[in-house]
Amino acid sequence: MSASQRDVKNRIGSVKNIQKITRAMEMVAAARLRRAEQRIEALRPYAGAIRRMTRQAAEAAGSEISGLPILKEHEAENTVALLLITGDRGLAGAFNSQIIRAGLRAAREHEGGGRAVLYSAVGRRGVSTLNFRGKEPVGRYVGFTDRPSYADAREIAEELIASYVDGKADRVEIFYNGYISPLTQEVRRETLLPLQQATILEGTERDREGAEDDDHHTHALVEYEPDPDEILARLIPDYVEISVYRALLESTASEHGARMTAMRNASENAGELIEDLTLEMNRARQAEITQEIMEVVAGAESLT
Amino acid sequence: MAKTPFRTEVLTPEGSVFDDEVTQISTRTKTGSIGILARHQPLLGMLEPTELRLYRGESDAEVVRFAAGEGYVQVSPDGVLLLVEEAHSPDSLDIGDLRDKLGRAEDALSSAEDGTEESRRASRDKRRWEAFLRIAEGGSQ
Repeated sequence: MSASQRDVKNRIGSVKNIQKITRAMEMVAAARLRRAEQRIEALRPYAGAIRRMTRQAAEAAGSEISGLPILKEHEAENTVALLLITGDRGLAGAFNSQIIRAGLRAAREHEGGGRAVLYSAVGRRGVSTLNFRGKEPVGRYVGFTDRPSYADAREIAEELIASYVDGKADRVEIFYNGYISPLTQEVRRETLLPLQQATILEGTERDREGAEDDDHHTHALVEYEPDPDEILARLIPDYVEISVYRALLESTASEHGARMTAMRNASENAGELIEDLTLEMNRARQAEITQEIMEVVAGAESLT
Repeated sequence: MAKTPFRTEVLTPEGSVFDDEVTQISTRTKTGSIGILARHQPLLGMLEPTELRLYRGESDAEVVRFAAGEGYVQVSPDGVLLLVEEAHSPDSLDIGDLRDKLGRAEDALSSAEDGTEESRRASRDKRRWEAFLRIAEGGSQ
């Protein structure tokens, strides 16, 4: 075997190894994606129940909820906090970079309008990119993007609420990859604070249909402990926690989906490369054989 | 006298952790400990972090325990719904980890100004980790 043939053979070997790794990563991502989808499903009954309780407490309280500090818009918008939700790891196509790009674009918009920007980031990728760009994040949340828990979401939500209520930020926006299907994710930009009343009312119509019956006969006699206003004051901030939690879960599902797609493409490219290299190797071998035959023929001719 | 069973579900954002018939529930609201038996008056209450106990029968062996965070309880004629932000089996609590968290909450509380949301938040955290720590330490005896 000639030197060039050995070379090509080595390259085929290493591409095959890479393909094995990318195939394995694709399968791991697919399994994790299924689990992430289940966790999005698992949140639904809880979020629905919180919404129904809010409606019940709001009706009993009979007062306007708009007085709560997290619902109140600040008079002047001087500082905007941006939360970028990325992943702890790369190798997922445009998953991390598109969030950072969208966040930085929004930051330029705000700065153009004379508003200061505070950054926070979920995921090592977001934190390190922001640091690298000299935009040090005030909140760094890393180490859980593979499997975010509600406690992680609560920590983030409480810090954002505190910065809003205490006046360190006048508006909070979040950026994350919304999960549509394993193949499709879209960058979403949402205003988290001030909490939009629409977020609270969303879906009440649908809930109402199912709950109408028990509404009729339980309504009058319900006992509240403590009074409905106080219950409401704690239920409303839960929406912020739930929104952050849902964004984290969708981002995790999107990350696994994006990685699955990226790894499938990588495996396919490796396959094509292997074909090309195999062809090249066969050609080199054929050339060598032809060469040898010619030498033999030339040698025989010279004898006659 | 045998107690009447009633349907109870414990829901967390991470899914349902309990859905079965029980004869008695013991938990804690803002105003103090409460026990719920069958045919309790309809109620909407706010729960504080505590040990949630669900009694399936008369004996102690049939009690299901959870370290439950803040939440809500809704009693209706159909049964009882407990919504809690987190519910762990007491055996799964890690005392060292809880001590760390409690320490951090105490630090945050002492550095936060009174009356700010930051300080309210730290005291909520502190209450939760204290309650969980009590449950964890009680369980290991």
